[in-house]
Amino acid sequence: MGKITGFKEYERKDETYTKVKKRLKDYKEFTVPLKKDEIEEQGSRCMDCGIPFCHSGCPLGNLIPDFNHMVHQGEWQKASWILHSTNNFPEFTGRLCPAPCEQACVLGIIEDPVSIENIEKNIVERAFKEGWIKPQPPKTRTGKEVAIVGSGPAGLAAAQQLNRAGHTVTVFERDDEIGGLLRYGIPNFKMEKEIIDRRVAILKAEGIIFKLNVNVGVNYEVEKLKAFDSVVLCGGSTERRSLPTPGIDADGVVQAMDFLTQQTKVVMGKIVENQVVATGKDVIVIGGGDTGSDCVGTSNRQGAKSVTNFEIMPKPPGHRSPQTPWPYWPLQLKTSSSHKEGCDRNWLINTKEFVTDDNGKLIALKTVNVEWKTELGKRPELIEIEGTEKTYPCDMALLALGFTGPEPTIANQLGIALDVRSNYKSEYGNYKTNVPNIFAAGDMRRGQSLIVWAISEGREAARQVDIYLMGSSILPTKEGGDLPLLGDRT
Amino acid sequence: MQCLMGQSRREAHENLAIAMNRIGGKSNSGEGGESRDRFIPSENGDSRNSAIKQVASGRFGVTSHYLTNAKEIQIKMAQGAKPGEGGQLPGEKVLPWIAAARNSTPFVGLISPPPHHDIYSIEDLAQLIYDLKNANREARINVKLVSEVGVGTIAAGVSKAKADVVLISGFDGGTGASPLTSLKHAGLPWELGLAEAQQTLVLNNLRSRIVVECDGQLKTGRDVAIAALLGAEEYGFATAPLVASGCIMMRKCHLNTCPVGIATQDKDLRKNFKGTPEHVINYFYYVANELRQIMAQLGFRTLAEMIGQTHKINSNKAIQHYKAKGLDLSSILHRPAEYRKMSLRNSEKQDHCLENVLDMKILKVATAAIEQGTKTSLSYPIHNTDRSLSAILSNEISKRHGHTGLPEDTLTLNFKGSAGQSFGAFGTFGLTLNLEGNTNDYLGKGMSGAKIIVKKPPTATFVAHENIIVGNVCLFGAVNGEAYINGIAGERFAVRNSGAIAVVEGVGDHCCEYMTGGNIIVLGNTGRNFAAGMSGGTAFIFDPESKFVNGLCNTETIEFEPIEEEEANAQKLNRKSC
Repeated sequence: MGKITGFKEYERKDETYTKVKKRLKDYKEFTVPLKKDEIEEQGSRCMDCGIPFCHSGCPLGNLIPDFNHMVHQGEWQKASWILHSTNNFPEFTGRLCPAPCEQACVLGIIEDPVSIENIEKNIVERAFKEGWIKPQPPKTRTGKEVAIVGSGPAGLAAAQQLNRAGHTVTVFERDDEIGGLLRYGIPNFKMEKEIIDRRVAILKAEGIIFKLNVNVGVNYEVEKLKAFDSVVLCGGSTERRSLPTPGIDADGVVQAMDFLTQQTKVVMGKIVENQVVATGKDVIVIGGGDTGSDCVGTSNRQGAKSVTNFEIMPKPPGHRSPQTPWPYWPLQLKTSSSHKEGCDRNWLINTKEFVTDDNGKLIALKTVNVEWKTELGKRPELIEIEGTEKTYPCDMALLALGFTGPEPTIANQLGIALDVRSNYKSEYGNYKTNVPNIFAAGDMRRGQSLIVWAISEGREAARQVDIYLMGSSILPTKEGGDLPLLGDRT
Repeated sequence: MQCLMGQSRREAHENLAIAMNRIGGKSNSGEGGESRDRFIPSENGDSRNSAIKQVASGRFGVTSHYLTNAKEIQIKMAQGAKPGEGGQLPGEKVLPWIAAARNSTPFVGLISPPPHHDIYSIEDLAQLIYDLKNANREARINVKLVSEVGVGTIAAGVSKAKADVVLISGFDGGTGASPLTSLKHAGLPWELGLAEAQQTLVLNNLRSRIVVECDGQLKTGRDVAIAALLGAEEYGFATAPLVASGCIMMRKCHLNTCPVGIATQDKDLRKNFKGTPEHVINYFYYVANELRQIMAQLGFRTLAEMIGQTHKINSNKAIQHYKAKGLDLSSILHRPAEYRKMSLRNSEKQDHCLENVLDMKILKVATAAIEQGTKTSLSYPIHNTDRSLSAILSNEISKRHGHTGLPEDTLTLNFKGSAGQSFGAFGTFGLTLNLEGNTNDYLGKGMSGAKIIVKKPPTATFVAHENIIVGNVCLFGAVNGEAYINGIAGERFAVRNSGAIAVVEGVGDHCCEYMTGGNIIVLGNTGRNFAAGMSGGTAFIFDPESKFVNGLCNTETIEFEPIEEEEANAQKLNRKSC
């Protein structure tokens, strides 16, 4: 909006990566930032739409045209204020978000959308560098105590919001570090862990209490939660999916999360006994999602002999399909930086057996090609194609198959109802569980999802908790700003 | 059903026209004229021709040929979104082909004046309706009014003035380019105006002869159902079909940066228009489908049965809303006792009384001239009851020979007497009108290429250059042609002229206002406010006492230049061809 013809004058410019050879040598981030002028130019590509669909595309309702404009004007501090008004942790989303906002960007109809995510990252990095991001402890305390279980993005966002409303917030984390999946689920080369520490330092300075190594319901009785006026459950969706395939217990079949966690711990200088490594191995990553991609990147850094990726679904189209029209998130082929570091990607392939040697050690994977039979109103049916059986030599199989839902431990002990998908049952928008003072947010409530959704739910749940505790709330809300569900005609 | 549009550009506009022509609806040209290539059907049978041709205060490109290609001619009295305001097209948007359609100078800003300069009373409106009906007898004449208090009275007047359709336009319509102040603070909802118009028309037994249409953000079948129950039988849509064809409501219509190529002149951006007629047709299918559901619920078999059945509107749910509590809708839903005996909907045609006009008599005799272009000269006496002379003849010539009509002087008509209003209206190429006598107002209105000569009778004893011989508002909206007036003209001479040449021996106030082209030669005194808002063309003024340059001329947009003798000799006032 600073420049009405900006989108016609400038092409989209993304940050580049350092060369594969170089970046595989360590676990550091490898993006090469754009220059300040270039970012300001990118900001001017924003068209200040009469109806900014990016607002609705973003689960946080980020005020995207506004901060784009400020960046274009060189008003970086104002841009940071605007960005932080809806997003507690732009440094996480600026690195890790798949950016549904960019898919909803109006410019995307006719050319490459505005590089919103990169602008976001640059704003927050600049803000930290300039010291604009300072702790904002509440002026007064309400005297209410709130417990937050889980320190992932949902828990941290809820904590910061509730703390700003003046409540005393205690965050329980079962791991030895703050961050949940951000900490150990995301490889260091995607987000260096100092980024989390930098933000946690702010949160601590604002007065949020963190309790590490506390696993609620395991080494901390749920009864103790009664001391709090309210509890927000942000434990994530951590039950890993496995395969019913023969040989799944073989030595060499490893859950992706274990593999990634160990590596990150090593990067952080922690001691990991019996670390599973891909060095010199033929690695097959089963699962073609983001975690699968992280496994590919990590395996390559560890020096795998070969990296192969399996995905049971068909190869998505390279462009937006009519089934997912603009401004919706399109089902389309994504090639991540990790994929580009070297791996053989296969689609429509199913593992039939994990073949072991006499010692129970994995030596190969037997596979078959498949196809999907879809019929209206029925679940798609998986059909194996005869004669396509194949054996892949394999020393390590990584299972990156997603998560089936949250762990039910706390629900069982507190008597919280689950929904049909085993998530903690609470309604989107009010986040209340069936237990009066207990709320649920993030993946624990909605199932595995994006960081940006976790932050969004954490913020909105905090507001609901505040209303529950105080009768009203001055915490911000995006209200009904989401895109209507595709196919939802109500 | 109708589609209306102002700001949208060629691709989007043609797309809507094709869609509406396919489904038997009507699309509206808007006030900017229309490229003539659109009048010719495409090879696949589609037509890009807008069925409704708008005639607004600017009269841009309103020629005999333009009107001939209409199924309906709409007189835009005002716009729902910005009543009382004129339009402005900034200079940078007046690209050569826009300028061609509007007969103006490329890259010079255009002003559409707030009032019609030929309408100052309901009688004037009746005259314009008559002019247009003459210009195309097959077309319905539609008068677009704005929903406001008292619109019922105006609608009654419009019905009496023999319009075929009256349109009640609501306030939330209008282009994204309307000023925000107008969008927010001007106009009334169509429901109010429609209810008032319907009740007044029925009460005075005027409803049967006119069709009532409404528009202003109609979007759904429910909107159509309510409009029908309140008394409208035709419905105008604009925003929703435009959204169906790709508009994403950027609200950048005035900035030329519409990224989906709808409201922009930018070549590259216009390529981004992805709409197809099918999109629009699909949208209307949904509207019709929803309307059918509502009709089935209410027990109506046809839309005609629904017109004016306000008792079928259940407003309880709306009134029970806490914000609407205390609203009294009874006057909107009121059904006067006359509803029992009077027609609630259009059931008969207006009688325009065109069978015995002078043009029809000439038409019978001048067949050879009109059909084959045989040179013909005819003489008639004329009276002040002979109005809109030459409109029907021009219509017949345009039908056969298109915009460029016939060669010069093919049909020469000599008249003696006192001509009525609109003498030479929409006169096209090939017609020469010789009048010995005088004329009433609107001489050469919308003149489209004809030659008009008015001179005092040889027997008259008065001095020509000291006496008024033609009335007010001569050559309003003239596009082409020549007029030679042996005497003084009244006020508002050659307002909105865009290409005609005229010689006159004196004029009243406001001469050449908003003129965009052509040449006016005044061999005598002028009135005040000469050339206000003039943005093109040339005026030559004989000004021996320097009164003109010292006060009578409005110098806001013009420049003075003295005529050098040699230059004057060299200057040829060539007939403009376009």
